Amino acid sequence: MAEEVKRTMKKVGIKAPILTAISYLLPLVVASGLLIAIGNLTGGQNVSTLDGITIPDALTTIGVFGMGLLPSFIAGYIAYAIADRPGLAPGFLMGQVASFLGAGFLGGMIGGIVAGYIALWLETYLKVPTWAQALMPMMIIPTLTAIIAGVLMVFVLGGPIAAITAALTAFITGLDYTQRLTTGFILGLIQHLDYGGAISKVPNLICDGMMADGIYGPEAVKVLGSMVPPFGVALALVLSKFVFKKPIFKLSEVENIKVAFPMGVCMITEGVIPIAMNDLVRTVISTALGDAVCGAIAFSMGVESMVPSGGMFVVPMMTNPGWALVALAAGSLVTALLLILLKRPLKPEEIDDLNVEQVEEEVDLSGLSFS
Amino acid sequence: MKIVGVCACCSGIAHTYMAKDAIVKAAQAMGDEVHMETQGTIGVEDELTAQQIAEADCVLLCVDVHIEGTERFKDKKVMKIPTGLAIKAPKQVISKIHEELRKTL
Repeated sequence: MAEEVKRTMKKVGIKAPILTAISYLLPLVVASGLLIAIGNLTGGQNVSTLDGITIPDALTTIGVFGMGLLPSFIAGYIAYAIADRPGLAPGFLMGQVASFLGAGFLGGMIGGIVAGYIALWLETYLKVPTWAQALMPMMIIPTLTAIIAGVLMVFVLGGPIAAITAALTAFITGLDYTQRLTTGFILGLIQHLDYGGAISKVPNLICDGMMADGIYGPEAVKVLGSMVPPFGVALALVLSKFVFKKPIFKLSEVENIKVAFPMGVCMITEGVIPIAMNDLVRTVISTALGDAVCGAIAFSMGVESMVPSGGMFVVPMMTNPGWALVALAAGSLVTALLLILLKRPLKPEEIDDLNVEQVEEEVDLSGLSFS
Repeated sequence: MKIVGVCACCSGIAHTYMAKDAIVKAAQAMGDEVHMETQGTIGVEDELTAQQIAEADCVLLCVDVHIEGTERFKDKKVMKIPTGLAIKAPKQVISKIHEELRKTL
């Protein structure tokens, strides 16, 4: 039976549930973050009674409610992705437990994983008589899962997670200027290494988590950094063409950049992938260093973002938006100059590649089969 | 050959649709009939019909996240890949599907 459990666990994994939860979470965070930002900008405050409440107050307060839902959202949808519907209710509950324990986002993640796997285990191995089958998803699984996971969270996991969250908060808020510079540099460097792919998700998630727990600096690094690669390649295109007269992009790449730039404005970094694929090492070095410079400037100058997504449209909502723009411009310039410096100049006959059949890179698909 | 499938990525705004385009293009180039449903952040689009699923030779899931409606495919041959692979090497994925389908005949 242990073997069987292992196999089920392996099939579901941890990564896909977390990614699923994030995909459900993003709209909530964006809406709540924007509400808080708009409310704050118009003079609103987080209030607890209806006495003399203004529209800006209401916006800020609703946004704060939304942020308060985060641990539950992450826990609920992680559990849902692991155990399907029966996991949803206990998952949301574990999120509330995490909030109560002060274990925040991280607590929600762990609570969701715990609840999800307990529910999955019960679904798979708990055998009940036929007449009770209907009660399984409705009563038995959610209740038992909530009891087991809840007790685990409150008495075993909650304390250590809350301590980790508190330590992280203390670490970030206690940094001096030089430390902020290096931290921002590293944060920026790792943030968009693979342009929104699997590697980026980890530092992105850490920043989202810190934002949910009230530390907004890293999130600004994430948001600004996501725009550096597309802005950087676009700037490289312009500069290489008009200033340096060094052709570095093929026609197909020029077409890609024309799409990647507006995507970048909306905080979609993925548009850079086709360009990076053609010249991976040089492009990644250029964009990562640009991101690092952007991160170092933004983080050390106290740029903060309460909104995790939205690109250029949320820059005005950030704390210190002026420095946000400086960081963005500096990062993009670094990326552009590095690209122009590092990339090999193209020969005239290499530039027009639009009519050439695209060749795929060989990949190993031997592990794939039908199930 | 008839292929149906679902694309879904984490943020549900970019990779989902890039994967769909890549797979549809590659499959059509190889003469297959293909229907891909997308489960993006906007919800389900181009939802597969029961008939399309019934007629399909196999199901190709290009997914990074938990998707809805997998019970529709319970009697089908299902291949699951990440969206990144579908975007990077769609033709090889389709060839692999042909190869695997031939094995099962």
